Amino acid sequence: MSNKAARNLFIYGSLLFFVIFVALTFDTMGKLDKRAPEITEEVNAGKMAWHKYDCIGCHTILGNGSYFAPDMTKVAEKKPKDYLKKFLMDPKSVNPKAAMPKLGISSDEADKLIAFLDWTSKIDTNGWPPKPILAEAAGVGGKELSAGQKIYQSSGCAVCHAINGIGGVSGPDLTKVGSKRDQEWLTGHFKEPAKYVPNSAMPPYKNLSEKELSDLSDYMLTLKQQEVKK
Amino acid sequence: MTIKHESQKIAQNFYTFAVLLFLVQVLVGIIAAVQFMWPDFFILNFNTIRTLHINALVVWLLVGMMGATYYVVPEESETELWSVPIAKFQFWATVIAVTAVVVGYIIMGLNPQANTLVFGTRLLNEGREYIEAPRWADILIVVSLLLFLLNCFMTMFKTKKWTGIQGTLLGGLTVLALMYIPGMFYTKSLVKDQFWWWWVVHLWVEGAWEIIAGALLAFMLMKVTGVKREVVEKWMYIEVGLVMFTGILGTGHHYYWIGTPSYWLWVGGIFSSLEPVPLLVMVWDAFRTTRETREVTNKAGLYYTVAHAIFNFVGAGLWGVIHTLPQVNKWTHGTQITTAHGHLAFYGAYVLLVLAMIYVTLPAIRGVREFNPSRAFKSFWIMTISMVFIVLTITGAGMVQTYMERLMGLDYVAVKANYNLWFWILRAIFGVGFLYGVWILVVDYFKLGKEKATA
Repeated sequence: MSNKAARNLFIYGSLLFFVIFVALTFDTMGKLDKRAPEITEEVNAGKMAWHKYDCIGCHTILGNGSYFAPDMTKVAEKKPKDYLKKFLMDPKSVNPKAAMPKLGISSDEADKLIAFLDWTSKIDTNGWPPKPILAEAAGVGGKELSAGQKIYQSSGCAVCHAINGIGGVSGPDLTKVGSKRDQEWLTGHFKEPAKYVPNSAMPPYKNLSEKELSDLSDYMLTLKQQEVKK
Repeated sequence: MTIKHESQKIAQNFYTFAVLLFLVQVLVGIIAAVQFMWPDFFILNFNTIRTLHINALVVWLLVGMMGATYYVVPEESETELWSVPIAKFQFWATVIAVTAVVVGYIIMGLNPQANTLVFGTRLLNEGREYIEAPRWADILIVVSLLLFLLNCFMTMFKTKKWTGIQGTLLGGLTVLALMYIPGMFYTKSLVKDQFWWWWVVHLWVEGAWEIIAGALLAFMLMKVTGVKREVVEKWMYIEVGLVMFTGILGTGHHYYWIGTPSYWLWVGGIFSSLEPVPLLVMVWDAFRTTRETREVTNKAGLYYTVAHAIFNFVGAGLWGVIHTLPQVNKWTHGTQITTAHGHLAFYGAYVLLVLAMIYVTLPAIRGVREFNPSRAFKSFWIMTISMVFIVLTITGAGMVQTYMERLMGLDYVAVKANYNLWFWILRAIFGVGFLYGVWILVVDYFKLGKEKATA
């Protein structure tokens, strides 16, 4: 390749990729408003306060920022609003161990910041941040186990099957089983697997009562592809 | 080694300011590292310290690149710089503007309420990572950059000796100036805010800056090893071309989770996975060129040049590609893994680049025929070993954080305060080691050529 050819390849190739990038940017700009709630004056005022106090100098939001303090993307979804307001205005009065300093955020600014964070928590982020899989699987995400989950554990289903990567691999993965099967199929299958799946190696669970089988099926039906919040 | 044109000496002003800011950057970096263990350690909070840490970095690298460019352009054009007074004015304007911005950050850190709204923008700190500088400073920065570019282009027009190296260098600097603009307007939507913000940040460090790095690498290889211009320029075009082909659409790896459409997962995943390729070509280029030459007088210059190529690949390339695929990034995004990548990438790609340019050009500026490179080697090894360990400790912290917070569901604060504590302690210790390396470098910078060479 001559020097001139290499130079032209660099210049025109770069321009081509930049044009593609600009086209994608235009397309994205047209789609963004549908992927998040409407921005009210209060949300915008909250964003202004977010910049005023340089919150991103410690926190991350949408995963971008300073990695020194918790991510704020979903905080309004996780924590009660009253708690957030008190914490924003005087962190150490709520939690003496808090690392966050008292910045002088007014009551009005706190309300607006919370409106902004509430808006942020409703952005369609393609499923980020993901739910912690181990906590989900163990049912320790702050929730009681459902009746079906208890049967799933006591019957040892996880010895062969996996949900979200936790469990055995000798049986089919059940992470999305709820989108494939219905109640009738599942209950019948527990009683006589081979009738539903030819050559199935799964033992029949005839010892479970109709109520238990139906609870277990209910649980299976909750296992669907993670839906993106709109 | 002597300079051919008197006006090339102006580079030294920029170098001096750059190495001093480097020292400041590392000093505040250590304060920040200690604040990871004791948040109340210093009168200024972490956000101010970190703003100073990353802004000092960006500014000293830019100033260093400007100095390097003022050296390269007269050399390539074979004429004096178009206007030395403009260069001097632009230099002092930069120093004054940077000082004013820093004072503003400190005032804002001591009293957040002072960060008032003036003409719809924040007076002291815009509260946007990396581009915290307020709008009035943005305008000054652009004016300074435009004066700088004007000066360089007018020098080129004087003789019209268009070389590939200076063309690419100034092309990269022009893109750099243009890519500052998408960060200069306010959007109500946080998603749009971050979208355009990445235009600045990504298209700087993985676009414009890498073009500049490619051009300076070619210049240094030519100067240090005496290899033919045709050969280095051809490979330079191939390298910077590949950087742009992968890097522009590679911006998509920042558009996975910020509220942007899901096709970015494909675009970003595919193109950013290829981003290490041109960096590997640069390493191969540096080694091939070096092997072919036997007579190298400026050993320190060559050392830093080759090290820049290697650590550009390791830090920006390898440490980037490990977490660039969406399947991995879903778990690591926003964790210390990114911090680790950031540290090694900036050190390899740009810190070593500017230091290499200083060691390649400073002896000529000071008219030194030969100099004792022992301090240069010493500072290189102390800085590099310290940085590698800093990066390993942060990588470890990132792995623990990813596992415990993202997979197990532990609270962010619990992981940071308990399980990662040892990583923070070690990081601070290696930070002090790095500071020692920088100190030797700064001493060497001021003493180079001013003491008798003893072999």
